[in-house]
Amino acid sequence: MTTNDTAVSLSGLTKTYKGVTAVDDLTVDIRAGRVTGLLGRNGAGKTTTLRMLLGLAAPTAGTATILGRPYAELPDAAHRVGVSMDGMGGVPGATVRSELRIWCTVLGLPATRADEVMEITGIADAATRPVKGCSTGMRQRLALAAALLADPEVLVLDEPANGLDPDGIRWLRDTLRSLAGEGRTVLVSSHQLAELEQTVDDVVIMQRTLRYAGTLADLTGHGATRLEDRFFELVDPAATSPAAENLAATAPTTPTPSTAAPAAVRTPERITSRA
Amino acid sequence: MRNLVAGEARKALTGRIWWYLPLAGAWLCLITTFGYVSEGEKAIASGSTALAVGQDVARAWMMMFLLAAVFGAVAVTRDYGSGTMVRSVLLAGSRTRLFGAKLIVSTVAGALFGLFAAALGTASVYLAPGPFGFEAAADGETALILFGVFACCTLAGPWGALVGWIVRNQTAAVVTLLVLTLLVDPGLQRIVPDASKYLLTIAMSSVYRDVKPDLLSLPMAYAVIAAWLAAAFFVGRRLVRTRDIA
Repeated sequence: MTTNDTAVSLSGLTKTYKGVTAVDDLTVDIRAGRVTGLLGRNGAGKTTTLRMLLGLAAPTAGTATILGRPYAELPDAAHRVGVSMDGMGGVPGATVRSELRIWCTVLGLPATRADEVMEITGIADAATRPVKGCSTGMRQRLALAAALLADPEVLVLDEPANGLDPDGIRWLRDTLRSLAGEGRTVLVSSHQLAELEQTVDDVVIMQRTLRYAGTLADLTGHGATRLEDRFFELVDPAATSPAAENLAATAPTTPTPSTAAPAAVRTPERITSRA
Repeated sequence: MRNLVAGEARKALTGRIWWYLPLAGAWLCLITTFGYVSEGEKAIASGSTALAVGQDVARAWMMMFLLAAVFGAVAVTRDYGSGTMVRSVLLAGSRTRLFGAKLIVSTVAGALFGLFAAALGTASVYLAPGPFGFEAAADGETALILFGVFACCTLAGPWGALVGWIVRNQTAAVVTLLVLTLLVDPGLQRIVPDASKYLLTIAMSSVYRDVKPDLLSLPMAYAVIAAWLAAAFFVGRRLVRTRDIA
């Protein structure tokens, strides 16, 4: 798969819970072989979007495909897509190693693969520690280790930096870049803007609706402005600082909620919103 | 599917439930056994027989089916409670495959609970009366009771799992099973005995050959149990396929 291929495609994706719209008409393609950040405030609909992408929640409207198919219809999906979702817990009573070995069994992988991913994610020393006794950062590494078990083409990571200490954040950044360097697609949701600015190639910003889809470089004017400033400008135009306004005036046209579609015209890459 | 079932079995054997539920069941059944044999001599003196006491002792082990059902329910609901369900579903390939795998594991677990109960029940029938001053006695009916205990445990495993899939919350599922088995079904049996014999746990009474009146014949009891399991299967499967995974 090349970077011109679409790894994830969302089309008109909408989710309404008891009359409250969590995600509204989200349309975007995400390119393969890139690290894409799905950014938004808490409650912006990031996790809901990922849950719909993975078939864990049914969209009220629209479709979501991964590697060309809905997750539920994707052949060998468990081996091709690695997932770490916020709130995923461990098997009660399991140690780090036994937890990974359970998933190895489910995936039909040799038990030694558990040891390999523990090495990759730096939790080999905690192999015999009960998952319940692991720190939040250790659990994040364990979740990523589980996601990597089947050596997947696509990684979907929901808030993987939550609870990580500075060392962990640095490790995560290097790991994600390394995974993308191997040709994998990484879709990572987060609200930690400064951190993601150093990690992602492409950015999707949402606040219930799509606010931006394109390259980080285009969004920040190749580093002329900070991601944080552009983010607040997009999700909360009323609170835009004068500095950001000035920068916005020099940057490419920013899609507003109602005009998110023109981003497709503005941005040449395949990570685009689609009308 | 074989990998999935093996993985679910490994999961079920992780933690303490695989041993503390059978032990809790054995403890309850032993207390009941003690009650029957400690009163055995008095019962024999007032017209009962050692054989009847032995059959009561064998029947006491039917309580293990409640623990088998709880095991099945916990095997499903603790995935929801711990947040493991998301990964379980994603790695299973489909929700219905996971649904099927957990049902298979719960059924096998129920059978193991049944074997455990039948083995300890047999030991109780032969070993418990001695210290209380009367001879152990058993016949073909005792064997049928013990087989009934095994069958009820085997059927209770998937029943618990199906309740787990429908209710999803561990506490609520376990309380549902306990209330249905210990309060609702026996209560309805007193109030409306003709209708209550079609309840699942009352139908199970026929399988372990309870001596209560107004019970169903054995074939009818199996049919009623099958109907309850089938209904729970279709409701559970539909909910698994249509509800969002928490």
